[in-house]
Amino acid sequence: MKILLVEDDRRAGDYLAKGLTELGHSVEQAFDGESGLKAAATGTHDILILDRMLPQLDGLEVVRRLRAAGSTLPILILSALDEVDERIQGLRAGGDDYLVKPYHLAELVARLDALARRRADVGPVAKLTVFDLELDTRARKVMRAGRKIDLTTREFQLLEFLMRHTAQVVTRSMILEGVWDYHFDPKTNVIDVHISRLRQAIDKGHERQLLHTVRGAGYTLTEDP
Amino acid sequence: MAIFSIARSSIARLAFLQALALAITMVAILSGVYLATARLLATESDQLIMLEAQSLKADFHDHDPDTFISAIADRAEDPWVRGAVYELRGPRGDFLAGNVVILPDLVVQHDGWVEFEVALTHGDETAARQIRAQILDLGDGFKLLVGHDVQDRQAFRAVMLRSIGWAVGAALLFGLFAGWWLGRRIARAARAISNNAAHITEGTLSERLPLTGSGDEIDGLVSRFNELLTRIESLTSTMRTVLDSTAHDLRGHLNRIRGAAQAAQHIAGEPAMRVACDTVLLEIDRLGTTLQGLLRIALAESGTAPLEEVDLSRLVAEIVEFYQPAAESHALTISIEPQLTVRGHRQLLTQAFANLLDNAIKYAPNAPIIVQLIGTDSEAIVTVADAGPGIPAEQRQLATQRFGRLPGSSGLPGSGLGLSLVAAVARLHHAALEMSDAAPGLKITLSIPRITTQAINSKR
Repeated sequence: MKILLVEDDRRAGDYLAKGLTELGHSVEQAFDGESGLKAAATGTHDILILDRMLPQLDGLEVVRRLRAAGSTLPILILSALDEVDERIQGLRAGGDDYLVKPYHLAELVARLDALARRRADVGPVAKLTVFDLELDTRARKVMRAGRKIDLTTREFQLLEFLMRHTAQVVTRSMILEGVWDYHFDPKTNVIDVHISRLRQAIDKGHERQLLHTVRGAGYTLTEDP
Repeated sequence: MAIFSIARSSIARLAFLQALALAITMVAILSGVYLATARLLATESDQLIMLEAQSLKADFHDHDPDTFISAIADRAEDPWVRGAVYELRGPRGDFLAGNVVILPDLVVQHDGWVEFEVALTHGDETAARQIRAQILDLGDGFKLLVGHDVQDRQAFRAVMLRSIGWAVGAALLFGLFAGWWLGRRIARAARAISNNAAHITEGTLSERLPLTGSGDEIDGLVSRFNELLTRIESLTSTMRTVLDSTAHDLRGHLNRIRGAAQAAQHIAGEPAMRVACDTVLLEIDRLGTTLQGLLRIALAESGTAPLEEVDLSRLVAEIVEFYQPAAESHALTISIEPQLTVRGHRQLLTQAFANLLDNAIKYAPNAPIIVQLIGTDSEAIVTVADAGPGIPAEQRQLATQRFGRLPGSSGLPGSGLGLSLVAAVARLHHAALEMSDAAPGLKITLSIPRITTQAINSKR
């Protein structure tokens, strides 16, 4: 992916650029809002990572101007400003996702993948398929190898979320936000328990396991481990 | 409502005092005027009678008795003299002249003055009149009564007393009205101040009291109060700015450390080095979580968090459902009364209940947990009880303080902010937080003021 990174904190930006480059992405860096906006306007990037607070032109303002100019570039806002209201502001301005510092590189990468994939998807798909697992969002039905699987509403939502991000790593906080709309870190391993229940339901008795744990990052639902 | 009724009663008290003071003043002034005037009138008429008596006495000595008798008779019959009475008696007590017949019955007072009532005819009318008279011993056994009708004085007294009555009544009425008006003005100002104070308690520091522009003491008080508000507001906003920028700054630093540690972990050759990097990363994440916890507590305590109508029944049901899989070994008992709404902050309430459930699951392994939500007329009461080790009564206060970790909990993960966040969220919602003994275990009760249909109606 061609990533445009706008971050005024040079050291943090360099670490991130290095990490992303090592993962095989090409990263272009800008250090203030003005030049960031200029670079983004060229339309040559796949994704924009934007710091919330920037010199010259505020991150939110950059997003607003890009959107006003009709850009559909996926934007991930990075910020040291937490709290739900801040997130809402960022997303309202036209950002696609919001990540609070300090973040895990794995979390950032997972969210980038999700954003890139969301762009590729055209509209909400009614039928999701991963290998022999099928999920019908309209009929609210799940089949594995032709056999119906009974799931609770939440389990269904969780599976749908994982299937929409298939072959990507989703982190625990992405799951919390995406499925429950919760913005806190549970002190207990409750997400893992939800995942293992779902795994019981969809993978038990099947040779090919679909739901995998990615150590230190989160989970992924994919046919090739 | 309480403030209102106190204001009411203080108006009544003020109005009553005002009226009473005014009435007493009126009575004092009018009584003084009455007494002085009455004395003046009395002295004046007594002097007139005395002067006439003296001149008649002189006449008696200067003339022979028959002339005197006819002179008295003339005076008594004179239609132009109104209210004067005469009676002349001879040495044997025989009536000689006059327009009244009362003398032998009268006992002469020591100063020579007598007062009596007699029927007097003047023109066509005859009426009982009050008379004040002097009895003179003219010598040679002759006695003369010279007096005058004092009905006017009586009338004056009656008029005066009536006037005093009216004046006092009017003073009472006017005083009551003035007191009520003044009291209402003061009470209105007091109510405005107390309402504003109530708003501020709920976190709208930007509100100001309106000035009447009269420049009086109430206005003075109001502008002092407004200055105080401005000061508090600026202090609070400075505090928030400092807190926000510090948090922002800390997050930036943490992020750089995290990046460096991650980079170091990537190039570390030795396994021990990787483990060290792992530890650094873990601690950074804990620091980040703690920072977030502190900021959430600060948000809840600042009172600036926006509140909205929240379906508490649904919120509790969802968070319990979220934790249910993790609580499988805990024999979870849930009873939730539906459709209880409160004014609240969704995220902070969720976080508070999450903390309570986290704690119950963490500190009471394999022990039953009871979650209950019931509604009373005014409150929605959430209870989370576990059958774990509980918290001794003397340590419960400590548990709600920031970083107040209890002895023996050091082995378990946690920042020591869990219950203090619950306490801060409780304060934000004007809710009562209570910890008690579940025998065995800990029972936490949060009583949040409810939005009832009645409350909604009365708000409209």
